[in-house]
Amino acid sequence: MEPRGSSGVGSGNSGTYTPEIAESLRFEEEIQSLIDPSFDASSAAGGSFTALLGLPANQAVELLHHPGPGEPPASAATDTLRLPFGCSSTFVERAARFSVFATDDSPASSSGGGLSPGLKAEPPDSDSPPTLPAPAGKPRRPSKRKECEKSKAKAVAKKSKSAEENTSAAKPAAEENTSGDKLPYVHVRARRGQATDSHSLAERARREKINARMKLLQELVPGCSKITGTALVLDEIINHVQSLQRQVEFLSMKLAAVNPRIDFSGLDHILSAECGPLAVASGCGGGASDPAMWASDTAASTGGIRRMPAPPQIWHLDVVHPQQSSTVWENNGVAHPHFLLSPATSLVGYDPASSVPLNSNRLKTEL
Amino acid sequence: MDSENSACGNPNPNPTLGPSKLMLAFRFLRALSLVHRTTPASSRTCRGRRIERAAYASMAYSAGTGRGWSRAVLRRLHHRARRRAVAPRRLSTTAGNRAEALRQLVPGGAGMDYCTLLEETADYIKCLSMQVELMQGIVDSSSSYGP
Repeated sequence: MEPRGSSGVGSGNSGTYTPEIAESLRFEEEIQSLIDPSFDASSAAGGSFTALLGLPANQAVELLHHPGPGEPPASAATDTLRLPFGCSSTFVERAARFSVFATDDSPASSSGGGLSPGLKAEPPDSDSPPTLPAPAGKPRRPSKRKECEKSKAKAVAKKSKSAEENTSAAKPAAEENTSGDKLPYVHVRARRGQATDSHSLAERARREKINARMKLLQELVPGCSKITGTALVLDEIINHVQSLQRQVEFLSMKLAAVNPRIDFSGLDHILSAECGPLAVASGCGGGASDPAMWASDTAASTGGIRRMPAPPQIWHLDVVHPQQSSTVWENNGVAHPHFLLSPATSLVGYDPASSVPLNSNRLKTEL
Repeated sequence: MDSENSACGNPNPNPTLGPSKLMLAFRFLRALSLVHRTTPASSRTCRGRRIERAAYASMAYSAGTGRGWSRAVLRRLHHRARRRAVAPRRLSTTAGNRAEALRQLVPGGAGMDYCTLLEETADYIKCLSMQVELMQGIVDSSSSYGP
């Protein structure tokens, strides 16, 4: 196992915690090399003990900083467990506090509710814990933790069967960091009584991924959250996609009759006001059907449109003022195509395919 | 219609959040006006089909090339434009396996693993609903104005 913890520690921890961190590192290394049956006997705290293994030292320090149960880290906890390591009390103390921490923050996940709810619950919670004492260590941490966690997960899983709720409590918190740091791996710890070989772990990770995506889909499709059972949900999704495609077809037939004629006479000065770079391209003699310029137009328009979060309303008003013949949508005062109006006013100006100059584009809706 | 859209690059500012409504409306309205300009008034079905293709094209362009389904749509469109064939309609109700049915529905779904398929379906549904909203808005506003 690589000594990644030391580098993570050295990068930016506060000096006061270094001795404890060094201790925890020693613990971790000892555990790695240790096949200790007595380890199983230290049931609950032992489980949380292993739980802390998945975390790098920085996380342990984080926990220490966390104003959770408010127990001082260095206090001599009641060490009722027979752990073969020296100074284990503080470590166990920390571990216990950690599992409490995990439980407090994500009660859903601590009840052995699998990875996905933990994953979902943790990312919002990952913002709430106090800022890391080692921000500089963070960039280096993920890369090292990647290999270590995976090997640790397997090693620890093979060596100790920890209590389920502790491992599942550990998993979400461990995953919190991975998802918070956006690692490509999802590290899965084997639960009690489950297979621990790499294939099962990978499969389980894949299944969790699929479940997460299914949940997303369920939220997207209306009325799908009540349905239980993957098959029915999939049916619902398929129906929804089919109905959407049918709607597109139907609406396109309807739109064949509607000719959207838009008046863009007031377009020029709006564009110069709103989108600076676009004004150049809005050489709105209509002329240049230059694909290169066109491409840069759209690129610039993206930037320009992105730059104006609020102003669609302003566009609406501006368009109202300068022109006498009003566009369809202005007359209606329809609120919905609010965002329609602004892009509508913006884009037709750039239509390179139209050889007709912009100003002569007086259009009215026909039905 | 296709050529006009193809001149645009891939300006998707937020690939993770989905396409921006603004750009979608931008592209679609432009394509719509182009279709109305170029097709004869007599052939309504032909125009309807073109509008549908324009809708999918604008959807795919707005989604950007970061998505598998948008790439597949654009691929299909460009190939059809060359070969002058009509875009086939996908009816998948007979597929017993639901994953297969989904693969037929979502463009480009055949070449994906299940996990990616679900992800693409989610994005596809988002974009489709946006497109439908947009088109419905256009129809509503235009119909409420006329007699």
